[in-house]
Amino acid sequence: MVLVLALGDLHIPHRAADLPPKFKSMLVPGKIQHIICTGNLCIKEVQDYLKTLCPDLHITRGEYDEETRYPETKMLTIGQFKLGLCHGHQVIPWGDLDSLAMLQRQLDVDILVTGHTHQFTAYKHEGGVVINPGSATGAYSSITYDVNPSFVLMDIDGLRVVVYVYELIDGEVKVDKIDFKKTATTTHSAH
Amino acid sequence: MSKEIVNEEAPSLTGVVSAENRTLGSLRSVRWRLNLGVLPPSPSLDDLRRETADSRRRYAELRRRLLLDPHVPKNGGSNSPDLVMDNPLSQNPDSSWGRFFRNAELEKMVDQDLSRLYPEHGSYFQALGCQGMLRRILLLWCLSHPEFGYRQGMHELLAPLLYVLHVDVERLSEVRKIHKDHFIDKFDGLLFEENDVTYNFDFKKFLDSMNDEVGSQGNSKKVGSVDELDPEIQTIILLTDAYGAEGELGIVLSDKFMEHDAYCMFEALMSGAHGSVAVADFFAPFPALQSHGGLPPVIEASAALYHLLSVVDSSLHSHLVELGVEPQYFALRWLRVLFGREFSLHDLLVVWDEILTADNSPLDKVSENEEISSFKLLDSHRGALIAGMAVSMILFVRSSLLATENATTCLQRLLNFPENINLKKLIGKAKSLQILALEFKISSSLLTFDVAYNRCKSAASSRNLSSDSVSLKTLSLVPDSYWEEKWTVLNKAEELRQDSLGKHASIGKRRWSEKVKPVLSRTESDPSPARAEKYKKGHSSSVRRSLLEDLSQQLGLEEDTEAGDCFDACNLDDRHSIEVQVERQNDTSIETIRTAEERCESGSGASVSEENSSIFSDPASSCSSSNDHENDTEKSSVSSTLSSDDNDDRHQSSLEDSPLPVSSPPDDVLLNYPHENESSGKMVPASKERRHLPSRFQWLLKFGWNNASQEASVKGVINETAKSANRDSKSSTADSSTAGASRNSSPTSQRDVVDQNVMGTLKNLGQSMLEHIQVLESVFQQDQVQVGSSDNSSRNNLVGKGQVTAVTALKELRKISNLLSER
Repeated sequence: MVLVLALGDLHIPHRAADLPPKFKSMLVPGKIQHIICTGNLCIKEVQDYLKTLCPDLHITRGEYDEETRYPETKMLTIGQFKLGLCHGHQVIPWGDLDSLAMLQRQLDVDILVTGHTHQFTAYKHEGGVVINPGSATGAYSSITYDVNPSFVLMDIDGLRVVVYVYELIDGEVKVDKIDFKKTATTTHSAH
Repeated sequence: MSKEIVNEEAPSLTGVVSAENRTLGSLRSVRWRLNLGVLPPSPSLDDLRRETADSRRRYAELRRRLLLDPHVPKNGGSNSPDLVMDNPLSQNPDSSWGRFFRNAELEKMVDQDLSRLYPEHGSYFQALGCQGMLRRILLLWCLSHPEFGYRQGMHELLAPLLYVLHVDVERLSEVRKIHKDHFIDKFDGLLFEENDVTYNFDFKKFLDSMNDEVGSQGNSKKVGSVDELDPEIQTIILLTDAYGAEGELGIVLSDKFMEHDAYCMFEALMSGAHGSVAVADFFAPFPALQSHGGLPPVIEASAALYHLLSVVDSSLHSHLVELGVEPQYFALRWLRVLFGREFSLHDLLVVWDEILTADNSPLDKVSENEEISSFKLLDSHRGALIAGMAVSMILFVRSSLLATENATTCLQRLLNFPENINLKKLIGKAKSLQILALEFKISSSLLTFDVAYNRCKSAASSRNLSSDSVSLKTLSLVPDSYWEEKWTVLNKAEELRQDSLGKHASIGKRRWSEKVKPVLSRTESDPSPARAEKYKKGHSSSVRRSLLEDLSQQLGLEEDTEAGDCFDACNLDDRHSIEVQVERQNDTSIETIRTAEERCESGSGASVSEENSSIFSDPASSCSSSNDHENDTEKSSVSSTLSSDDNDDRHQSSLEDSPLPVSSPPDDVLLNYPHENESSGKMVPASKERRHLPSRFQWLLKFGWNNASQEASVKGVINETAKSANRDSKSSTADSSTAGASRNSSPTSQRDVVDQNVMGTLKNLGQSMLEHIQVLESVFQQDQVQVGSSDNSSRNNLVGKGQVTAVTALKELRKISNLLSER
């Protein structure tokens, strides 16, 4: 029962002032065990705020981040799952599933979390999951101005992960749920 | 092959139940379950089994219901759950996730305690399985009793219960090993061979084996039938029959259902099982509904302890009270865990044997009209035994307690109870104290503990009075003749006032407080004459002393800028009035006042406290007649007026409304006490009484008014007594107050000024009387004593018991006030 929050592309303060208040009210400290952030926060204050929600914070560098020392990609293991994190502007074409799958194989992870497109997507692909949590603030992207604020909460429990998607559509929080079950296969080394 | 003839009749535990202790012997868990009410006190084994099975079913259902997995969809998973509500981040309190998180928090708290449970018996208690069981049981209990939540100490109550179950199960397995024959699953009494043919009975073999059996001594205890066994072992075997009523679920001694049984026992212990003593009450932070004192039950129970101690050993009690050792400092732990932390586990089991054997049904209260009931703790045999146990423990360390003059050391001694104790003696003494407590409880059902508590609250300094040392009785009804007396006294007071305008050297507040203290203590300790109950004199002196100290403390704290002569006068008056009272039993108020006046004028500033104490002891003895009551009120009013004169308005007002539980005789106390209490910031009476000059008269009014309203509520009593004291002694107080007033207004020594003052004060008096009447009428509610000022709360302390009296008293007051205003 590990709760992992995945979010990113907040673009605070350049494109958005803050998280939507409805999101903020839901994010209370104490419930979430890990936070993974795809990038483009952009300033340190946002990192501090996320740190108050949960001490275990992982961030990768987005192209507009002012903190230059975030890594490009990150890998972590939670429970039975291996998670990979990357901002996604490095993967061209942006948001393309096959290219992202290449990255997933490269990192050898079960769950890959990327951003940059500001659109929520979640694919089951080749025994793994590719998730894009979208933009938590609804900031406009290079691609489109029509962005709904969204983020993702993953509930990792043994071999099963339940992905809750929280989207702010027309001022209301909509929640959706996706179940993924990992086959208990041995991890094949990518050599 | 043993062919035992199992008893075909339904086995009954008649012998068991009637001779519980013998046959159940070491089967503590069964015995305790019977005592706690988990199992019915029925001799039939079937009933026991059924009840066992039922209780276990209840627990299983509870567990299924409350320990939920948020992943498991609520309604069988058919409908898609409303995700907006049911997601992990949902703020909705109803969501299963929300409940999950709340349970997780509770569990974390429980775990904190469990990890530290009984480390010396860690092999059992720290084992994972046991910890898991304990955790679940506590969690479920807290979830089903959300008003209590989890409090530290509950785990210590639960641990011995689980332990005895465990011990019994171990015993069972021992017996099983020894008597395994009896436990073979012979469900029809015949042991069949592993043959296909059932009826291929080889007679020859049978006869041979019979002979064998008869002849053999039995390598192990091959007893013929169950009945021939030791009754205890017999019981064990009977209790574990897998085929009795309710089958496996009904096996009374079963290790599979230890968790269920432990939960049932814990629940029964906490809730008291319809009895009087419910340990859960000790964990409640708020006063119980039926509480008359408005105090948390554990404080009340601690007060009960001290009360019992004061009866038994007043010197130790007073010593503790003087040091300021409040009972709840140590009694909280004792009561909440039922002495779990004071004894080793095995000793504790013996103690609990005794406590649980005592019956828990509430005793019939001696029906009284006024319902200042005795301590709830003493309301049953079990409660009385618990109280007796605590007191015997205190007495056990008596010598070391008396030897020290330091409150901290006392507490240390009490909190670290010695290891090597003679448990039998301790329990024996506890039993005798239990009997005493029960007797005493009946004879003094009017004891209230509020006084002590209030005093404790009011004492701003470290010198707190124990929560219970005085029994206060309800005020007696004020006879109507009071009013007439008062009126005459009032007149005389005026005259006297004009005469006495001497200045007195200002003596410190301490003086006054000292004087007042004796008054207070005396009055407090006086039993209500109306009740004509015997008062344990042992209380008096200690009470007084403590009261005195308390008063001086309170007074000392007050920064009174008034002239010191007031104090002096007050002191003097107090003393004198006290003396006067002592002298005469049934004197009129006038006389009292006269003498008081005279004494006042003497103005000697000798140390009063000793005198007062001695004086007071006499009044205490004489306070069995209603006259004394009146006298006391007069005296108290006198002293109070005098003292009030000196004090700030705040004092005065506070005096009136301070919710001191003073019995009617101790009007003085009321008068003074409210003073004291006020000064310590207790109840601030209506601020309307803040008038400087006429304050005295107002004070008088208040007191008299208080006197009139004889209300039986604890808080109300205090206020009421103060008020009634006022009324009662209105005349006398008027006298003395005028005298006092005149003294107080010493700066203006001219007659004219005095006259004007008198008139003014009288007018103000009348006004304030009216005000008070109104206030009194509007307030008939019990409230909790609040430190700090709150006009309403002070009023609210009055309980509408003596409303009729109050109303008549009010009418009288009106008359008087009218008269006053006319002048």
